[in-house]
Amino acid sequence: MTAVDRPVERPAGRRSLPQAAPLLGGLVLLAVVAVLSLGVGAHQVSPGEVLRALFDYHAGDDDHVIVRDIRLPRAVLATAVGAALAAAGALIQTLARNPLAEPGVLGVTAGAGFAITVGAGLGLAAGQGGQLLWAIAGSVLAALLVAAVGRTSPLRLVLTGTALTAVLGGLALGLRLMDPETFDTYRFWSVGTLAGREQEPLTLPLTGIALCLVLALTISRGLNALSLGENVARALGVSVARTQALTLVLITVLCGAATAVAGPILFVGLIVPHLVRRLAQGSVPWLLLHSMVLGPVLLLAADSAARVLLPTGEVPVAIVTAFLGGPMLIWTVRKYGAGAL
Amino acid sequence: MFARRIPGLAGAVALAVALTSCGSSDSDSSAGDASDKSGQKTREFTVGDEKVSIPADPERVVATGYAVPTLIQADAPLVGISSWKRGEPMMDGEEKAAYDKLPKVAGELASETNYEAIAEAEPDLIVLGVPVPVLGDIDMDRLKSIAPVVAVGPMVPSEWREVSRQHADAAGVLDTYEKAEDAYDAKAAELKKKYADALDGLKFGHVGSYGDTSKGTFQREFNGSWGTNAAQDVGADYVGKPKEPGPGSRSVSEYPSLEELSDSLGASDVITYSVNTDGSVPDAVQAVLDSKLWKNLPAVKKQRAFPVAFTEAATYGDAMKTLDAIDKSFAPLLDK
Repeated sequence: MTAVDRPVERPAGRRSLPQAAPLLGGLVLLAVVAVLSLGVGAHQVSPGEVLRALFDYHAGDDDHVIVRDIRLPRAVLATAVGAALAAAGALIQTLARNPLAEPGVLGVTAGAGFAITVGAGLGLAAGQGGQLLWAIAGSVLAALLVAAVGRTSPLRLVLTGTALTAVLGGLALGLRLMDPETFDTYRFWSVGTLAGREQEPLTLPLTGIALCLVLALTISRGLNALSLGENVARALGVSVARTQALTLVLITVLCGAATAVAGPILFVGLIVPHLVRRLAQGSVPWLLLHSMVLGPVLLLAADSAARVLLPTGEVPVAIVTAFLGGPMLIWTVRKYGAGAL
Repeated sequence: MFARRIPGLAGAVALAVALTSCGSSDSDSSAGDASDKSGQKTREFTVGDEKVSIPADPERVVATGYAVPTLIQADAPLVGISSWKRGEPMMDGEEKAAYDKLPKVAGELASETNYEAIAEAEPDLIVLGVPVPVLGDIDMDRLKSIAPVVAVGPMVPSEWREVSRQHADAAGVLDTYEKAEDAYDAKAAELKKKYADALDGLKFGHVGSYGDTSKGTFQREFNGSWGTNAAQDVGADYVGKPKEPGPGSRSVSEYPSLEELSDSLGASDVITYSVNTDGSVPDAVQAVLDSKLWKNLPAVKKQRAFPVAFTEAATYGDAMKTLDAIDKSFAPLLDK
């Protein structure tokens, strides 16, 4: 055991039992919400048929096709995107030591949007596959630029990300206003939704998200020390620069991949870490674990609601999360005070 | 075309709004012997509740929106037009040359009207092919200070017939227009006779290309929509109506979830779907064709799903190509 681990692990060990219970509860809730999401949609499918679709699938049965080929991959997508955004939010709030930070503060979302705009303007981002690549490339480049300029301090990082977001947003807006085709391509991408996205080739982005979630847990102890301040972290033997760099990479990939496949869904990364912060009791590893469970719960619930809220059709899930997220944030602040943030 | 092939566009705001929330204007014209300040003979042209004094024989016409293809094909004396990308794929060489040659005095959107360019064109008549609600994006007083303005646009897609007639009438090219109309009617009547027995009693369904599959939906069109109105002239009956009818094109089409594909089209004996003018399948339609639910549809299993090109035709000249495409696609039904 290293010197770094000791001060972090002891309190974590004492809290492991009381923290494991809500985590287990969260996992059960996640399973329930996921199963429920398989039964909710525009086409009525009975619970019994949902089970038969999962365990006794017939390709000629429309109900089975809907459950297995549309709703199940969509639930997997919601789980991955929710976990990625929530974990990225927890990471950026820890790294920036700013409770209002969310993954987009690194310019990742703006970078993706700008890249989509440029790609559409060049006529190379018409399909969803093309948009996926442009969004990932834009996210990575924006994050690299922000990291290069703002790496010296969390405040500088946030300011750089905010500035880049404003610049890219303005440039992209100008490009869109000049070309209606580009405007159309962007406006459909810009409202985050999971509907229809499950039909895209998602193996690569989902694999990337899964790997990054595991990596995030492995560096969480270093982040625990870093949350006490850089000097304390160094005194505890943490390589501050390496931890910060790796965290930035993880935030970029998590947020970039999630944004690329589902479009911008901003509130999840901001709200989920706050909702679980009291459960984590100051432990970054637990904060990440709880976020990775509650993020998918929130997104799955919002996505299920998005399918049935309006009789005229689906509501983009980003709108539902915004409606849910705002009141939830206010409730958290009122119930737990500013300390919750 | 442009509007239908690329999800959601067609002048994202102007035309979408035009077809979803506005109505066409009834118009009528009556000849008169009055003259304007320049001594040019005028006549009264009625658009909705408004009467407009326009030249009896216009010599310099500016056209925008749906009026562009109509007046190019009718050889109107155009001196300026708006951009009309959606119609470009349907233009033949001569029409495209005329389209390219004419000065562009407005973009795809009504809000992109270039008033100075219109004034420089010195028109004696301005024909706006946009519905009344979209006129809010246009400074009508400024336009009227340049030349008399006739603004007529469609409420539902199938109204292109009446609307284009009004455009041609205002521009003084009704004779040329009616020749194209007669040719279309003759061709449609011929095909209707040819397919009368084959189509008798069949229920049709149509999958359109105007939509965004990233939202997990598809466009279902009924009688009176872009993808169906020409086929109706041949005798096809696209039964049903939207679950939640809305104004404009929402009264003849809807965007159900892909999950509802079998609910929507399961009872159709024949399914048609929009394709591009070159026969390629638009992304919005391809997503439907790739679905396992599509392959489970009874009509698809019976190989009664047919592509139809030129479904975005908004002139009789273009609609002739639609009839040809329908004739080619429906041919297998003659063997039933």
